[in-house]
Amino acid sequence: MTLKTLNLNAFKPVWLLGLIPPVLFLLWWDHEAAKGGANALAFVSLAQVSQALADMLASGELGLSYGSSLGRALSGLLIGGGIGTLVGIAMGLSKPVEWAASPIYNSFRQVPILGWLPLIGLWFGSGDLSKLIIVALSAFYPTVLYTFEGLKQVEARLLDVGQIYRLNGWQTFWRIQWPAALPSIFTGLFQALAFTWISTIGVELLFSSGAGLGALMQQAQLQARLDIVLVCILFVGLTGFAINFLIKRLSQHVLSWRSIRA
Amino acid sequence: MDYVPHSQIPGHKSRQTGAVSLKGIKKQFNFKDRELKVLSEFSLDVQPGEFVSIVGPSGCGKSTLLRLIAGLDDTYDGTITLDGQRVAGTSLERGLVFQDHRLFPWMTLEDNIGLALTNRNIPKDAKAKLVADHIALVGLKGFEKAFPHQLSGGMAQRAAIARSLVNEPKVLLLDEPFGALDALTRVHLQTELQRIWLAQGSTMIMITHDVEEALYLGDRVVVMQANPGRITHTVDVNLPHPRDRASPVLHKLKDEILAELTHVPEPSNPVVRLIKGDDQ
Ligand SMILES: Nc1ncnc2c1ncn2[C@@H]1O[C@H](COP(=O)(O)OP(=O)(O)OP(=O)(O)O)[C@@H](O)[C@H]1O
Ligand SMILES: [Mg+2]
Repeated sequence: MTLKTLNLNAFKPVWLLGLIPPVLFLLWWDHEAAKGGANALAFVSLAQVSQALADMLASGELGLSYGSSLGRALSGLLIGGGIGTLVGIAMGLSKPVEWAASPIYNSFRQVPILGWLPLIGLWFGSGDLSKLIIVALSAFYPTVLYTFEGLKQVEARLLDVGQIYRLNGWQTFWRIQWPAALPSIFTGLFQALAFTWISTIGVELLFSSGAGLGALMQQAQLQARLDIVLVCILFVGLTGFAINFLIKRLSQHVLSWRSIRA
Repeated sequence: MDYVPHSQIPGHKSRQTGAVSLKGIKKQFNFKDRELKVLSEFSLDVQPGEFVSIVGPSGCGKSTLLRLIAGLDDTYDGTITLDGQRVAGTSLERGLVFQDHRLFPWMTLEDNIGLALTNRNIPKDAKAKLVADHIALVGLKGFEKAFPHQLSGGMAQRAAIARSLVNEPKVLLLDEPFGALDALTRVHLQTELQRIWLAQGSTMIMITHDVEEALYLGDRVVVMQANPGRITHTVDVNLPHPRDRASPVLHKLKDEILAELTHVPEPSNPVVRLIKGDDQ
């Protein structure tokens, strides 16, 4: 064995610490649930929750709802984030576009996403289209903002270099402005992802027709099925966690040139 | 004056092109609703292949002057020509090395240097060869794939010099290229720059704070004063290249120039007096 394989520092059990609070919480939960009686409605035992999970998996109900929510979040991200990036680029590169678009963008941004629900419900009903619009909007705002800001902050000293080597508009954008703005654009994407997932669940709860984790939770609540609600919450939370993890990894990879000298 | 033209200096690869002529340059900035005269009646003729050093106090308009020659700023009075052609906008014929290296942090060393060739109409493999040759020229072989944050300050500055040389500009403008480096690296890079200049023979106009550096490299040293920026003195350095740093001639000239620079006349420019007053 080489020294390297023996290196104990390589094993970092720090993440294990993060498991302590949930485990303690679950132990406390189960203890409370076992008391029964007056607490029976508020507390279902872990065994019941696992049973509900197994049933929902077997019936395909969970897969269907989860897939539907995830699909909605991703298409919303793609549509809202895509359009948002294009709008942000247009605003960042062209002063007239910035002047034309800024006021309306900044006032609409003040309306909370779910504040659009009544209007969009009136126009498009409470079906999938309305939900998609809300989710796409939640991805749109941060991507516009961070793409725009990122492009605005490209330093003149770097643009000078492009001028010295006679780069044309497209070359300047692609070789200098876009990569320089990328860290900011990633911050926007980060936020967009978090927002789309939250707004997906939110809009499903409020427009509870159709499939989705939010709709499932809503129905379970009406039937006082706390176990199902908990399974849904578990999946919502874990997915948000996974999304953040993925984005972090992706941005580390794409922005590796930023890494500080070790 | 017994100035020896660069072409008679042994070892110098002579060139026919690269004559820079500045005539009556006036430049001002609008500062707090007032006009700040930065350059006034600045005239200078630089011969093809000549190495001219410019020294002067901070804020006397040296960087501004280089930006005008480079074509980054077109708002001035007077004329700037390269080989008789009036300068308009930037051109690959006029290279510029900034005081900070200004490499793009998201590109490898190779790509940073290759960027300079983006709009050159030559085949891809010819570009690759030019890049490789210039990386070798500044002694950075083996670092082709390194990102700027993986280079030392001196290496990054050498990369920036390679980037500006890759187009073989007729004139290379250097704005305190070694200003941010430690004394040892600076001496090393000065020697390298001299070697490159002797090999390539392009015209060089270098700004520096370091009088010793100006004298070691320059065929001519131009001394500027501030408020407004103008030439007060020109020193011919009649020594063959490569030079000996310990030369008593250089030391004598250095004392002369330092004396000139440390004698600070009262500012004659009312705006500047006003700004200075604001500071107090
Ligand atoms: N864009 C600008 N707008 C207004 N004033 C400017 C601008 N650029 C330069 N100046 C002013 O012009 C003067 C000369 O600046 P410049 O950068 O050319 O000085 P410098 O001789 O290169 O100084 P240093 O040796 O410190 O680099 C300064 O007073 C500066 O404040
Ligand atoms: Mg300067």
